[in-house]
Amino acid sequence: MASEIKPIWQRVLNNIGDRFMGWSFEVGGVSLLVWEIMRNTFPPKLDGEETWRNMYKVGVKSFPIVVVTALLVGAIMVIQSGMYIEQYGAYGLLGWGAGYSVFREVGPIMIGLMFSGRVGANNTAELGTMKVTDQIDALRALAIDPVRYLVMPRVFTMIVMMFLLVVVGDFVSLLGGAATSQYLLGVDMTLFAWSVITYVSLADFLHGLYKAVAFGFAIAVISCHFGLNTSGGAVGVGRSVNASVVGSAIAIFILDYLITYLDT
Amino acid sequence: MASIEFQGIYKSFGNKHVLRGVDLAVEPGEVFFIIGQSGAGKSVLVKHLIGLIRPDQGRIFLDGVDVTDLSEKELYPVRKRCAMVFQNSTLFDSMSLLDNVALPIRKHKDVNKKEAREQALEKLKLVGMGEYKDRFPSDFGDGMRKKVAIARALTLDPEYVIFDEPTTGIDPISAAMVDKLIRHLADHHGVTSIVISHDLRSIFGIADRIAMLYQGKLLLDGTQDDFKNSDNPIIQQFITGNPEGPMEV
Repeated sequence: MASEIKPIWQRVLNNIGDRFMGWSFEVGGVSLLVWEIMRNTFPPKLDGEETWRNMYKVGVKSFPIVVVTALLVGAIMVIQSGMYIEQYGAYGLLGWGAGYSVFREVGPIMIGLMFSGRVGANNTAELGTMKVTDQIDALRALAIDPVRYLVMPRVFTMIVMMFLLVVVGDFVSLLGGAATSQYLLGVDMTLFAWSVITYVSLADFLHGLYKAVAFGFAIAVISCHFGLNTSGGAVGVGRSVNASVVGSAIAIFILDYLITYLDT
Repeated sequence: MASIEFQGIYKSFGNKHVLRGVDLAVEPGEVFFIIGQSGAGKSVLVKHLIGLIRPDQGRIFLDGVDVTDLSEKELYPVRKRCAMVFQNSTLFDSMSLLDNVALPIRKHKDVNKKEAREQALEKLKLVGMGEYKDRFPSDFGDGMRKKVAIARALTLDPEYVIFDEPTTGIDPISAAMVDKLIRHLADHHGVTSIVISHDLRSIFGIADRIAMLYQGKLLLDGTQDDFKNSDNPIIQQFITGNPEGPMEV
């Protein structure tokens, strides 16, 4: 017997229902993982070797790309604002404009997005491959808690490294901005530095660091969640990596909005 | 009293009914083989023992203790006593062979890193992989990885070991070595082994008892002779590897 063709309204409702269930599953899964992380945080239980390996992989390997990104971000900020600075002759505000926007917004967001694309995607792919090749079950069979052994070092590492990379990235951005202002706009570097020191406050710098910590945590949790829930072989790993990068990007912008709203 | 007991195990994945009421009992120190076609539910059944899969219905007992409803945390002591060698080795790609084997020692034994690595090396030597200790799993084929997985499973000196197709993909000499090791563990250390295998040479070489699963149910549970002498056409077809017969492929 031919299968009955459902009316269009029923198919639309089915589709909406499916999407809703999918999102609920992901949100529930992330919430449960956050709960598991909290349970393992006090007292902290980190595997030294796994933490060290991730520190190297996440921090050292990300350093060059973050430096290049930050240099260009600083330069772009100066070029973008340079047009108006020259128009009004407000050369003393160039450092403030670049520093304020880099410290508070552009630095953490750009580095966060780079971090989620490089580190988060890599993490999801690694955990996803472990999942589909039964390595996660093998850990459980060895009486080793995958959250404690795999997730905790990654969360710790991503928070610490995101923080440090944003600190480094902020200053490299200013260097890029100062160099661009000197060689492209003819604004002396010392005037640029004076402008940063005079007009940009410690609170602006810290504002960006709060975001770095929040973004690091979000990227870690989301990438681990999608990795640990991978199914369907190589295709499934690809799907999880995709979902992880999209999820991390959404989380970065939501957290950015919330922190900006609360700390302004 | 049986060491391991499965009582009326049912398990379905979606609308695929894999196990349809399996009853099995494994005696202490036995080398117990579970055989059957691919997809018969052998791996699914043994994973229930250490809680990697939960049954839809039925109970599982280990030394008379019901382990069916234990939480993940409560299962850890069970998993330390009952090791498993997975079908596809499941070595950790990011670690050297030595670190793979040392991991459970590092996590569960009160020893320093150097001592853990020394103990791990002993286990690697036991399976003939000592000289490759610093190499990575990706450098080897299935057979050699499987030997390392066996070494890793033995690190905590378990009372029970589940071997999921331990000789598949291994050359005949290494397969004979694995068989000898399983027999040795039973005869000299009292280790109870559940072995899932299609390897007739292993099955009729070292099995104390054999159980055959067919269509999610237990078809026969008996000795090597019971199987050889069985007049059940399905069993005979399986043993002889005849593509023609009543067994649905």
